Amino acid sequence: MTAALEAVGISVSFGAVRALQDVDLAVDQGKLVGLIGPNGAGKTTFVDAITGFVQASGSVRLEGREISSLPPHRRSHLGLARTWQTIELFDDLTVRENLAVAGGRPSLPSSFAEIVFGRQPRAERLAEEVLGLLDLEGIAEEMPSDLSQGRRKLVGIARALAGKPSLLLLDEPAAGLDTNESRDLGRRLRRIVDGGLPTLLIDHDMGLVLGICDEIYVLDFGKLIARGTPEEVRRHPDVLAAYLGKSAAEVEPGASKVGAAWAAVAEGAAEQ
Amino acid sequence: MSEPVLSLEKVSAGYGQADVIRDIEIDVHPGEIVTLLGPNGAGKTTTLRLVSGLLKASRGTVRYKGRDVAHLSPTRRARAGIAHVPEGRGIFFGLTVAEHLRLGYRGETIDAEIVYTYFPALRQLRDRPAGLLSGGEQQMLAVARNLARRPDLLLLDELSLGLAPLLVERLLPVVRDYSRERNCGVLLVEQHVPLALEVADRCYVLSHGDVVLHEPASRVRENPELLVSSYLGQSSTSEALAT
Amino acid sequence: MLAEQIFAYAILGLGSGALFAGTGLGVVLSYRGSGVINLATGAIAMLSGYCYWALATGEFGVTFATPLAVVLTLLFSVVLGVAFELGVVRPLRRQPPLAKLVATLGVLLSAQAAIVLAFGDTAHPQPSILPGGVVTLFGVTIPDYDIWMAAIVLAVTLLLAAGYRWTRFGLGTRAAAENEAYATLFGLSPNRYSMGNTVLMALAMGLVGLLAASINEVDPITLVLYIVPALAAAMFGRLTGFTTTYVAGLVIGMAESVLVFLGGQSWFPTSNGGPLPGVDELLVLVVLVVATFFRAGKIPSRGDIVERRLPRAPRPVAPLRTAAIFVPIAAVAMWALPFGFREGLITSCIFAISLLSLVVVTGYLGQLSLVQLGLAGVAGFLVSHLFTNFGIGFPWAAIVGVLAAAALGVGFGFPALRVRGVQLAVVTLAATVALETFWFSNGTWGAGVLGAPVPAPSLFGFSFGTNASFHGLGGGEPSPLFGWFCLIVLTVVALLVANLRRSRLGQQMLAVRANERAAAASGVNVRNVKLTGFGIAAGIAGVCGVLLSYSYGSITASSFSALIAVALVAFVYITGITSVPGGIFGGVIYVGGLFAYALLDWFGLQGNWLNLAVGFLVVMSLVSRPEGGATFLFYGKRPSLWPRASKDPQGKMPAGGVVNDEGEQQMERSLAPVEVEVPS
Repeated sequence: MTAALEAVGISVSFGAVRALQDVDLAVDQGKLVGLIGPNGAGKTTFVDAITGFVQASGSVRLEGREISSLPPHRRSHLGLARTWQTIELFDDLTVRENLAVAGGRPSLPSSFAEIVFGRQPRAERLAEEVLGLLDLEGIAEEMPSDLSQGRRKLVGIARALAGKPSLLLLDEPAAGLDTNESRDLGRRLRRIVDGGLPTLLIDHDMGLVLGICDEIYVLDFGKLIARGTPEEVRRHPDVLAAYLGKSAAEVEPGASKVGAAWAAVAEGAAEQ
Repeated sequence: MSEPVLSLEKVSAGYGQADVIRDIEIDVHPGEIVTLLGPNGAGKTTTLRLVSGLLKASRGTVRYKGRDVAHLSPTRRARAGIAHVPEGRGIFFGLTVAEHLRLGYRGETIDAEIVYTYFPALRQLRDRPAGLLSGGEQQMLAVARNLARRPDLLLLDELSLGLAPLLVERLLPVVRDYSRERNCGVLLVEQHVPLALEVADRCYVLSHGDVVLHEPASRVRENPELLVSSYLGQSSTSEALAT
Repeated sequence: MLAEQIFAYAILGLGSGALFAGTGLGVVLSYRGSGVINLATGAIAMLSGYCYWALATGEFGVTFATPLAVVLTLLFSVVLGVAFELGVVRPLRRQPPLAKLVATLGVLLSAQAAIVLAFGDTAHPQPSILPGGVVTLFGVTIPDYDIWMAAIVLAVTLLLAAGYRWTRFGLGTRAAAENEAYATLFGLSPNRYSMGNTVLMALAMGLVGLLAASINEVDPITLVLYIVPALAAAMFGRLTGFTTTYVAGLVIGMAESVLVFLGGQSWFPTSNGGPLPGVDELLVLVVLVVATFFRAGKIPSRGDIVERRLPRAPRPVAPLRTAAIFVPIAAVAMWALPFGFREGLITSCIFAISLLSLVVVTGYLGQLSLVQLGLAGVAGFLVSHLFTNFGIGFPWAAIVGVLAAAALGVGFGFPALRVRGVQLAVVTLAATVALETFWFSNGTWGAGVLGAPVPAPSLFGFSFGTNASFHGLGGGEPSPLFGWFCLIVLTVVALLVANLRRSRLGQQMLAVRANERAAAASGVNVRNVKLTGFGIAAGIAGVCGVLLSYSYGSITASSFSALIAVALVAFVYITGITSVPGGIFGGVIYVGGLFAYALLDWFGLQGNWLNLAVGFLVVMSLVSRPEGGATFLFYGKRPSLWPRASKDPQGKMPAGGVVNDEGEQQMERSLAPVEVEVPS
């Protein structure tokens, strides 16, 4: 079976800074894949590279089709949907209209009919359906600015779903949510993936990512440092080190008591 | 014990309707370094912004040297002795190092000697625009420029962001020395936990906007497992999801 | 010999070049101090110029000696600066750049109206403050003051450049412009820098007003429009460089002077026996376009704390029902009202159409275009030409005119894809000026001075022009038939614009307006949506132009002047740039329209009183009711806070520029307003 997403050798440079170096990542059909890493590791840059918002080298295949030379809106038409860490809803449009924009491209005749004869666009059913998937019934006519942070996040996901994508990229959907909201989000995501939508999930909430993903990739300083099941990643000593700070011991071996203590914790975690 | 230079009393704050931090209580005393740890999105940066006045508390009181500062603008708070090095370094890329040291409000005296004493490396770079400095040099300038104001309270946000830990390892002892010598309270947010714990006196851990741990830094240093659950998520979370 | 003469003419252009440069310095000071693209700098110079003229010639009964008049004039400009800061800049400091720019348009309009009301619109000679000797260079006599002016403005330029480099004030201004939040963390006070720079700007403009006495008479237009070459110069200086702006301003002045010389040459293209007009303005437009494309991309973006976006564009609930209520009332009024009121109503209908074009391009698409009236002119002139040269009348001429305007709109749209909101406003302003002088005033393919004839519209032998006879009203013009025609056209256009907002294309436009990156990620082809929007808006503008030409029976360049374009934007901002009612009511209150006629008829107030009020009203409504009065009336109040900027159109850093935990960045962008500064 063709992978939903296959990214090979993705590199991105900003001037002299190499934000991503040769990252390979695949999302198989029906799988929820996590991408984690400390601040500044290049996770968002990776999503930008896949969706065409930064210049990147390497190959991006969506269901076997090479898309790395296409502009963002074309990639979206082919089934690539994403959310943003910073939500980025269309604040001037109601929730329903937000979904309608992503829901389909108006053809020339239908645009003509809508403008000249005032015919109303048919996006109503779609909106209800998608909102229902995320337990968001009843907010279709609200403006995004009137919603809570958590709801806005979910509307962002709903908008991505409205285009009936073949692959979903979620950039920090749980940031800014409290523990309960984050847990609810996890349940909904799992439901969406189990419904047949392969998804790449980026988040800082390790509980969330380790709890629901089938496979996890770990980035640090723009490079892939680990890949595996949640259990394998949890045990990986480099991962703990990347998250809780590279211990001073690694920089100058034996120089620091604290560094040694941290190395011990990392090993302890690996043994669990 | 001396009167705290900063105390947050049951403070909540956030953006729009949602509070990012809830009812937190934090004290910083003169001459001590307090570090604020926690995973991303826990509210650490929000706490610092609240203290320097970039953000207003929705509930609770922020006291600086015993005074409620709710009505003071960031400008006033800065002039009263609060220095904040934000995550983006807080310096001006269009100004040279020397210009940063001449920059100031009317009547302010900037102690350029402090800068060159603590950070001799900046002397050679004085005519270079900050935008052309390396990340480490920029961070050095940011810390130096703020020390030169002789603050009574120094807020440091993620000095290590995008830098090799080694650079921060050199910066923090300078902050440590300054804090002791000038009796300056420091509130330090840092993602490299061992570095932060090494210089800090006390440590608070924030998780999802709540203070979940408050211990002397030495104790956490020796028992790092205290932190693991707040960083890697409680096992309860994963269990709940598994069901 | 030719080369020497060109050189001498170039020197002759130093004087006006210095004035362009000086006005450009004002633009730079405003931008550096407060991020305002200040289109009112020329107007402030004009006010100072009038002050000097009044003091030096004894207009107020007392004649002051030149030195005293100079000092008093500079004091007056300081007062103007303080008033501008407190009345415009400070109340709008959290507004998006576009709103600030519109406010300066309002100030420009008010200043001009005030002068016309006080001193009339004729030019007055005034005494020069500079020595009056001459030098002769290659047979060309060059007055000393040209050189003096260039030297004085150079001195100011160097002082400013040095001050920004060396003084605490300059350093603080640079710091606050780069990142306002960081500056406050250092205890700096951005408001004080803003005030200081605005006062410096006003002083510089005072100086320009004084120096202009040497080469210009005072009048309410010349100095005001110096803003266009000044903007071109300032764009070359990336809105921040004093010396580059100076040099660019000087070069533009010298190039214009050389054009005057070349205009006297036998090979220069002529029009009606004189040298081709408008080449100056075309040159300025070219300079501005070049500057925008090759320099403006590097304009340092400002780190102002909170940006507010354009107001929301409410979705019309039942446009047909609304039309069913208002159209019959207007139709009856068209027949029942006395002639003057009827004429006002017709004018309102026609200008409402041009404002609806702004609703589409600015309100829906988020691009401030000042060239819409110019596009209207293109359609109007085509109607005239098709008649005079080919005998084509209604409806084909009208259709061709509208289509041509739409095509031209799409054509302008291509470059606009690369230009940011505020810069688009600047370039389109220059385009309007160039269209007016190069095309519309041109005797060969425009109207010249006299105006080009336009036939009355008629269909199947049934005329409904302004002079169409109507049973029971005698021959009184304008005919209600023409009024009904205009009303029908307005109704159709309004319904189309309302439907557009409800259509998916309209939703895509608002998505693009809100967030281009997210729109692209949602599958919206941003480029096509923008081009379509420009095309639709231009077509609507074309409809306005066609009706205008029919309404006057002849067409002149002055109907499509840049100042009218500016006034239209100011009026529609008051009533609401984002909705159909906003556009229509903008037409009602527009100068020459129904409301203006009522003011004249009932209170004897000239249209300029309305223009005078508009400047104040624009600032007031931007601060208190940014959605505009009519939009508010029709769609009610937003219960929540006005939405804050989610990001700037280019998708750069959050407005605050304060980087945050990754997980907290999204909140940064909806940062609640914070009192950053307590004025001390």
